[in-house]
Amino acid sequence: MVIDRGASIGTAALAAHGLSKRFKKKVALDKVDLAIPAGSVTALVGPNGAGKTTLIRVCMAFERPNAGTVEVDGVDPWKHRSEALRRVGYVPQTPAVYRGLSVEDHLAMARSLHSGFDSDYARRRLDQLGIPLDQRADTLSGGQAAQLGLAVALGTRAKVLLLDEPLANLDPLARREFIQVLLDAVKAEGSTALLSSHIVTDVEDACDRLVILGGGKVRLDCPLEEARQTHRLTEADSPPPGGTAVGSFLGRNGKTIMTLWRLAPGAGPGGDQGTGQGETSEAASLEDVVLGYLAAGRSIGLQLN
Amino acid sequence: MLSRIRLTFKQHRFETLAVTIVCVGLTAAALIEAFRLNSLNVPLSCLQSYQGSFVDPSQGPITAAQAHCNELAKSFSDMKGSLDMNLVQLLLLLVPLLTGIVVGAPLVAREIEQGTAPLSWALSGSRRRWLLGKVLAGVLLLASLMLAVGLAANVLEGALNPGLNPYNSFSNYLGRGVIDVFWALAAFAGTFALGTLFGRTMPAVVIALVVCFFVRGVWDAGMTHYVLRPFAIEQVLPDQPQQGYVAYGPGSGFADMFVYSKSYIDGKEATDAQVNDWYQQNMVCVPTPTQSASASPADSSSPSASSSPGPQATPGNPNMGVACQTPTIDPSHFPQQIQYVLPGSWYWQTVAMESGVLLLGSLFCGAIAFVWVDRRRPY
Repeated sequence: MVIDRGASIGTAALAAHGLSKRFKKKVALDKVDLAIPAGSVTALVGPNGAGKTTLIRVCMAFERPNAGTVEVDGVDPWKHRSEALRRVGYVPQTPAVYRGLSVEDHLAMARSLHSGFDSDYARRRLDQLGIPLDQRADTLSGGQAAQLGLAVALGTRAKVLLLDEPLANLDPLARREFIQVLLDAVKAEGSTALLSSHIVTDVEDACDRLVILGGGKVRLDCPLEEARQTHRLTEADSPPPGGTAVGSFLGRNGKTIMTLWRLAPGAGPGGDQGTGQGETSEAASLEDVVLGYLAAGRSIGLQLN
Repeated sequence: MLSRIRLTFKQHRFETLAVTIVCVGLTAAALIEAFRLNSLNVPLSCLQSYQGSFVDPSQGPITAAQAHCNELAKSFSDMKGSLDMNLVQLLLLLVPLLTGIVVGAPLVAREIEQGTAPLSWALSGSRRRWLLGKVLAGVLLLASLMLAVGLAANVLEGALNPGLNPYNSFSNYLGRGVIDVFWALAAFAGTFALGTLFGRTMPAVVIALVVCFFVRGVWDAGMTHYVLRPFAIEQVLPDQPQQGYVAYGPGSGFADMFVYSKSYIDGKEATDAQVNDWYQQNMVCVPTPTQSASASPADSSSPSASSSPGPQATPGNPNMGVACQTPTIDPSHFPQQIQYVLPGSWYWQTVAMESGVLLLGSLFCGAIAFVWVDRRRPY
């Protein structure tokens, strides 16, 4: 079920209301309403240019919104930056490390900049991963650099973690390690995480909530399980009972057009079922759900001859 | 904050190391050059009587003592004009600006270029506090190094001008002493402000180079006309009734600093044009032997001279020229030039004033950076 955005803003760990951001003529965020419940791990999914990074940057007070508001743990980052940033741990898109500094120096720098930074906690995390503290950051592998960024973010003991495509440049093993460390920390600390990615499979197993962003708008915002349960996929434009068409896209075989349907609440369980017109609908994977909403966002009807 | 300063040095280790090596090397070079000059032990009287290769026949034969004196003075003069001495003096002028630019340019700009600014700014609630840590590191580095360079330059200045107290003289005063520290800090502040505005290192370096050297070029004129002028002391030159070039000023080797001059005719302030008119009207041109014509204050062939009242030259006589001389007028009615100078004893006050102006400029540039860093994007 799609959450009631307006009602939940006050209690959400991260909330946006009517948030808009333009870069000259390009609209990056268009009246975005969003509410990320406390304690959740939310996947922020969308193609390149969907507005994921802009949304996170607005939350970090790196960008000023043109309209609307955003609140991090109840604090507007643009009005009360220090207060807001004290509540946020941030992992940037590309592992940002100081080339000349060692891993330990990064922790010392974080300690000198953030009064509540827990060096021991961050150090333990890095020890567990076998990352030497005296190694220069510019000699770390991509995965290790990402882990260093995560350790610094976790060391702040922030209530909200914002991770801007941290998995994009990692190999599969490093991705799995990164996600595991993140999940362990979130579970232990009870914090909230917003993990952006343009690769659905990266976040499928890690997150319990899904936000699909496309063309600067929120296309879907619901728990992950609900996204799976309430969407069906068919090969033709024959709706399953109680289904509303979301969007059509090219199937995995590259030949057939698949249509994603959204079922009305309580319309029926997942699994294969008849559509009533001789067609069979199948359960939609998370990737199918994302593709369907992104296709709808582009408003381009795919057709094959 | 100490940790931030230490990490800033480590982060910018190349610039820190390069600037330290250059400054320590320059300090050592200046002290070595001063030692070499001092070790010649040239008596001041020898330097004062030394006239280069010119030998005045009216002085009679040179004694052995005089010859030795001349030899010592020549060695001193040669060393003073040597390539290495000139190089050290040139570097003493340039290094304060260059070090300020080298340290200041990457301070913020490189963080933005390399994408580390978002990491730091996300951790630090206050970007200004973050910047303060970095700026303090730069100030500490430059102040200590430039003080060493400035003091060494003072020692060298004393050696270059025996008998001249560097702390009581304006000789080369902009390139030595504590003012070096403020030149470096001004270049540093201006450059890190540019780096904060542009978020790019190279454009900041290029613009800073142009601005710094322009400011340095117009500094003397600007300071003497706008800042030091009210403090200048009147100095009447009764023996110089005509306008003449006075070699005071920074770099002239004189203890006092010429600030500006005024001309008076019969007690009334006069412009340069009025003084010229006075000479044209009151000069009398008379025939004189040719060689004396060139010594006259005005060109004998100029239309103004030939049109002056008085005897004219005989054109047909090749041995005679025309010399224009002032008629017999009471010298008290001659145009009088009054120079306004700062005596050497004003060295510290002047250095304090000019350092203050540089400090104000540094604070202004720093304020721009501190305001802008709070508003700009970290990428």
